[in-house]
Amino acid sequence: MTLSVALGPDTQEGTRTGTEASTDSLTAPDIPWNLVIWNDPVNLMSYVSYVFQSYFGYSESKANKLMMEVHKKGRSIVAHGSKEQVERHAVAMHGFGLWATVEKASGGNSGNSKNSGKSGGSGQGKGKRG
Amino acid sequence: MAKAFKYGLKGITGFLEPAERELLRSLIDDVISMLQPAEHTSQDPLAALIGLDMDVQEPTDRAVKRLLPNVMKNDDGASLEFRQLTERSLRETKIGALRAAALDLDRDEVVLTAEGARFWSMALNDVRLVLAERLDIRDEEDAEHVHLMQDWSQAEDVESYLALVYNFTTWLQESLVQAMLQSLDARA
Repeated sequence: MTLSVALGPDTQEGTRTGTEASTDSLTAPDIPWNLVIWNDPVNLMSYVSYVFQSYFGYSESKANKLMMEVHKKGRSIVAHGSKEQVERHAVAMHGFGLWATVEKASGGNSGNSKNSGKSGGSGQGKGKRG
Repeated sequence: MAKAFKYGLKGITGFLEPAERELLRSLIDDVISMLQPAEHTSQDPLAALIGLDMDVQEPTDRAVKRLLPNVMKNDDGASLEFRQLTERSLRETKIGALRAAALDLDRDEVVLTAEGARFWSMALNDVRLVLAERLDIRDEEDAEHVHLMQDWSQAEDVESYLALVYNFTTWLQESLVQAMLQSLDARA
């Protein structure tokens, strides 16, 4: 996964607004997306952890940590990737019966700790420029 | 009385009484019938072949919508577009798992491979999601309230009967998933 937007130099300075539109459209497919799992009162905690371990290949401790985050915070970002990748994961999660959605990583409306600082920085930079 | 699933030399095994198998079979059949895609006479055969369904709409039944949720939280248009591309195959995946589980209900003793166990866990989960919608389980408090219903002699109305059925399928899925987690550990 390339993070051409997210990994750009500090956007605070030296940003030429004239190039912004074309840069955005060129790199839009590379903007990372998140796979979000939402809490619901039906899915078993053990099952959610099993799905994270067996589907994503996560360790038991990582799977349990993400599962607890879903349970306690109401949602958790459990994977990142291109739009196509996270959409494929979302369909698989729906197959398992988990409540999954996809969202642009730079949308940053949740303040979720799993979100990488890099993509968060991208969102902020764009906001300031706009 | 059913026995909890366990992981051992034969794989994952469980035991169900005939009445319990009959109950599970009818629950599974109900969910399958909810998931059967509507047949459109106007459907383009090529589109159908590759799984496209341009006539698909967001489900109006809450339980069906929970089984086939929107892929984006705040973008119904994009979610519908995605649904057109993927919903048919998602329905087929779910129906496949439900049918596989139903086939295993022909015998008292249920012996599952890793794949069979995965199908069972998906099928039980979908059955529980549908029951939970019918029971109006919206939050953890509702779930706890339903969970208190454990005594079959109290089953006086449809709701209490559904609650007992929900609790039975919850118990069964939990024991299955525990056995599946053990089998993951054993392979690791």
